Amino acid sequence: MEFPTIFSITEGEIDLNDLLAKITLTSTGAAAIFTGMVRGETTRDAAHETEYLEYEAYIPMAEAKMKQVADEIRERWPVVEGIAIVQRIGKLYPKTPTVLIACTAAHRDTGVFEAARYGIDRLKEIVPIWKKEVSPNGEFWVEGDYFPKAGE
Amino acid sequence: MNHVKLLFFATLRDRAGTKSMELDIPSDLTVQGLKEKISAEYPNLKESMLSVLITINREYAFDEAVIPQHAELAMFPPVSGG
Repeated sequence: MEFPTIFSITEGEIDLNDLLAKITLTSTGAAAIFTGMVRGETTRDAAHETEYLEYEAYIPMAEAKMKQVADEIRERWPVVEGIAIVQRIGKLYPKTPTVLIACTAAHRDTGVFEAARYGIDRLKEIVPIWKKEVSPNGEFWVEGDYFPKAGE
Repeated sequence: MNHVKLLFFATLRDRAGTKSMELDIPSDLTVQGLKEKISAEYPNLKESMLSVLITINREYAFDEAVIPQHAELAMFPPVSGG
């Protein structure tokens, strides 16, 4: 039987319960879920306030790269059962979930936590999505620092 | 000549002032050659070419890659999703 893999870019709300139901099998006993949200007040490093973030994506490539991240997870953690990778785009305000990575497995000691961690780290490296930060002091595009290598 | 489509995202789109353009390029043009052409023809984008990511048909492409006919190209800064 094939394990469920969900990947999408959406303008709508991220529905955790719905996604979790879709990646839960009768053999599933554990799910590791990472979700990121818009932080309104940043205190680490350069302290600042955020009014909202505006996300955009190169949608067809982003979905293909999310599929690639899911494939990489399965290669490294074959015990992982379901995988969901979802990025919300558009104008998003503080406290709003922006991204969700969830992996399920039979048990919690199977590497399922590490698999979800790997998923969000890879998404931030290779999936073509960007955010513009809008604050009381102006706006600027946030740029990453990862340069993909051949085959990524 | 090859006819290709070039998409811009994020900072690159703002600096280019457009989401996309169509270009006719020599059939042996490489990614490096494309960066040089864009730098020369679009001064606003010259500085961006130093740290740009380029894709050919939705895969990351590198300096020596030759751009194929009807390619969908994109230029953008390192990604910042999440």
